[in-house]
Amino acid sequence: MSRRARLLLLAAAGLVVAGFFAAACLRLPAFGAAVHPYGERAVAAALGQRTANTVSSVNFDQRAFDTLGEESILYASVLSAVLLLRLARDERKHEPRPAPVLPSTRLFGAVLLPVTLLTGGYVVAHGQLSPGGGFQGGVVLASGLHLAYVAADYRALGRVRPLAVLDVADALAAGAFSVLGLVGLVAGAAFLQNTLPLGTFNTLASGGLVPVVNAVVGVEVASGVIVLLAQFLDQAVEVVER
Amino acid sequence: MPDTARLLPLAVAVPLLGSVLLAVAGHRLPRLGTDVLAAFCAAASLGCLVLLWVRTGDGRAVSWVGGWGPPGGAPARGAQSVGIVLVADRLGLGLALLAAALVLAVVAYAWRYFEEPVGGHAGVFPALLLLFHAGMCGFALTGDLFDAFVFFELMGACAYALTGYRIEDPRPLHGALTFGIVNSLAAYASLLGIGLLYARTGQLGLAQLGQALDTRPPDLLVVCAFVLVLAGPLVKAAAAPFHFWLPDAHAVAPSPVCMLLSGVMVELGVYGVARIYWVVFAGPGGIPHPAFRSVLLVLGTLTALLGAVMCWQQRHLKRLLAFSTVGHVGLFLVGVALLDPAALAGTAVYVASHAGAKAALFGLCGLLLDRYGSVDEHGLHGRARELVLPGLLFAVGGFALAGLPPFGTGLGKALGEEAAGRQLPFLLPALYVLVSAVTGGAVLRAALRVFAGAGPAPVDRPGEPETSGEGEEPEVRGPGRRLPVPLVAVPAVLLLCSLLVGCVPAVGARLAEAARLFTDRAGYLAAAYQAPPAPAAPVPPAGWTAAGVLLGLLSAALATGLALLAVHPLHRGLGAALNRRLVLPLRRLHSGLLGDYVTWLVVGLAGLLVAFAAQR
Repeated sequence: MSRRARLLLLAAAGLVVAGFFAAACLRLPAFGAAVHPYGERAVAAALGQRTANTVSSVNFDQRAFDTLGEESILYASVLSAVLLLRLARDERKHEPRPAPVLPSTRLFGAVLLPVTLLTGGYVVAHGQLSPGGGFQGGVVLASGLHLAYVAADYRALGRVRPLAVLDVADALAAGAFSVLGLVGLVAGAAFLQNTLPLGTFNTLASGGLVPVVNAVVGVEVASGVIVLLAQFLDQAVEVVER
Repeated sequence: MPDTARLLPLAVAVPLLGSVLLAVAGHRLPRLGTDVLAAFCAAASLGCLVLLWVRTGDGRAVSWVGGWGPPGGAPARGAQSVGIVLVADRLGLGLALLAAALVLAVVAYAWRYFEEPVGGHAGVFPALLLLFHAGMCGFALTGDLFDAFVFFELMGACAYALTGYRIEDPRPLHGALTFGIVNSLAAYASLLGIGLLYARTGQLGLAQLGQALDTRPPDLLVVCAFVLVLAGPLVKAAAAPFHFWLPDAHAVAPSPVCMLLSGVMVELGVYGVARIYWVVFAGPGGIPHPAFRSVLLVLGTLTALLGAVMCWQQRHLKRLLAFSTVGHVGLFLVGVALLDPAALAGTAVYVASHAGAKAALFGLCGLLLDRYGSVDEHGLHGRARELVLPGLLFAVGGFALAGLPPFGTGLGKALGEEAAGRQLPFLLPALYVLVSAVTGGAVLRAALRVFAGAGPAPVDRPGEPETSGEGEEPEVRGPGRRLPVPLVAVPAVLLLCSLLVGCVPAVGARLAEAARLFTDRAGYLAAAYQAPPAPAAPVPPAGWTAAGVLLGLLSAALATGLALLAVHPLHRGLGAALNRRLVLPLRRLHSGLLGDYVTWLVVGLAGLLVAFAAQR
């Protein structure tokens, strides 16, 4: 197909699809309606489980099986990146040279690195109470660590990034989610059933299984994203063709 | 021991835990240890599914994950649940079982297949295989539309990486990229569709959605949501014009991975189409049966013919097999489109047996690649005479694809022909015969040329868009070594299984029961709400008939005739004009350009939207 024919065909077909989609959207319930069938049920269920953050209750309790699948996708992506970005036969690694960095930048990194990690830890730890949780906090933790690269150089990042440990932590956390599911089965309840004591509403120890799954996901996401980024960074910084 | 229903999530959890074990321990063990561990994990997963299959019987097992069933356990309040339900029946479990069997076969096949590859990353390949398996199990067993989407994406993420495994060669990476982008775009369309349905009903469960849609007459939103949701499964199933990614990916993926992609992943797309239609959209608030039947029949016929024509044109053996998969998927879509339990039973038998035959053929291609570093029919002409047993197996695989009785493919084809003949006499049975004969014939032609050196050496056709199979990176180093046993044994066992599907009447009978259950919408809705199942329709027949055997023999004879004609020097010049007018433009469409493929995806969606809206 010529470039022009392709564009014309794509534009025509795209218009048809867009037209249908717009027409369908016009038939949706009006925005901001007072009731939503799922929202009402999910909030009631979250309160029943003494989980203040309903989104976390949906993610880690009511529809935890979806989250198991999503977390497995991240885990699969990490494994895929490790596999596809491995050192090919015609590539070798070279030690990156230290890069000159402004003192102010270095200071900025040294101050903000612990602050960012603390923030990430907070977001993970309070997942059952306030907006945030394992996914969001994990990403904050992982990207915070890379301040070491931005504010210093690649070798500094290597020192604060124990890849071998994180690699194992990623896999174990992915497995721990399934094991937590099996705990429910062993306890005579359903897979991933929230059988732990529910605790006091709106305190750190509330929600039963929710904070535990949340923490496991936090570890998985943080270590997973670091390992994932490491594959790409290695490829960009260290790996050269033979 | 807890009841079967509660054990259903194990089908996902066991392979997930296996993959973790392999990822952690894989590179710390010697090669043999990793292989044994992988085989053990695959076998454990298979054992778990066999247990579920036996205990589920001819009924359904319903499991609310996390115990989030209807409040108070009252079945009538099923729509009040906030949780995810898994609903296993014989077709879903059967596909999960098929996937498990193929994963085990792949692990056994790859036992000595890859060179010591990935430095510190041994164990990653089998770990991804098991994750892939977990995704397929989740997709086959879930009774929740969003959950199905999640596991669909898990399948995808693993499949893209497995396709691009051989990173030294740019072609696998290109194939994997095309595969990934086209499938991801379709998945976004599915997500849009799920969003429309969720906004309308506040439900995500298949049964709950179906029930909620049935409360009002269908409108444009339902049509739009239906087409968008189906985009994902249709692309995965490689229905024309969504099929372009498949041959590009299959030609470059490692042969053991092709066994899984062609054997079961593509068929899961067909399963997704059937399941989603039957449970969500087959009621009065969905898409009318005649509309679904006519559109899907056209789509299936188009796919089957295109697959057959393109299959015949290939000289790259893996591309040839990939297009034969497209052809057969077209027949499976026809089987689903008829909305008839008998046709569905036939399709189920066909899928089970096709998986064995196709996986065996891909396995034998891997063997050729291992020996000669090529999968080019022309370049290999007569070179593989020394491989007697693999040559015989390759030919047997061709006959299996052609539907020779008593192969299961023949039985599935016969059942499909019979049911199709009731709705559209002569034309649809002829389609079955034609497509199986041409695809089987292409394989037989390749077998004659490669393993027997029959006919004159084929000459290149300059100026035609061709993909030769020359210059492939062998998937293994050191072709001088002895022929590894699994490279022959695994295809032989797979072909035997394909044969047994047709010979053991119990298989057909169980799948016929399964098809009856699958098409019992009221029963599914009731079961998801844990009420006693409604009485079902009669079980369709699933045995051999005289007509079926004769049509099977006819396809096999046609396939042989085509293969002999192709290698005979006489046929040159025959049909050259037809080739230039009809086939060449078709081949030019398969350009390998991602932009073209995305355009066809959007064109296909637009076509489906118009077709369904017109018949509302």
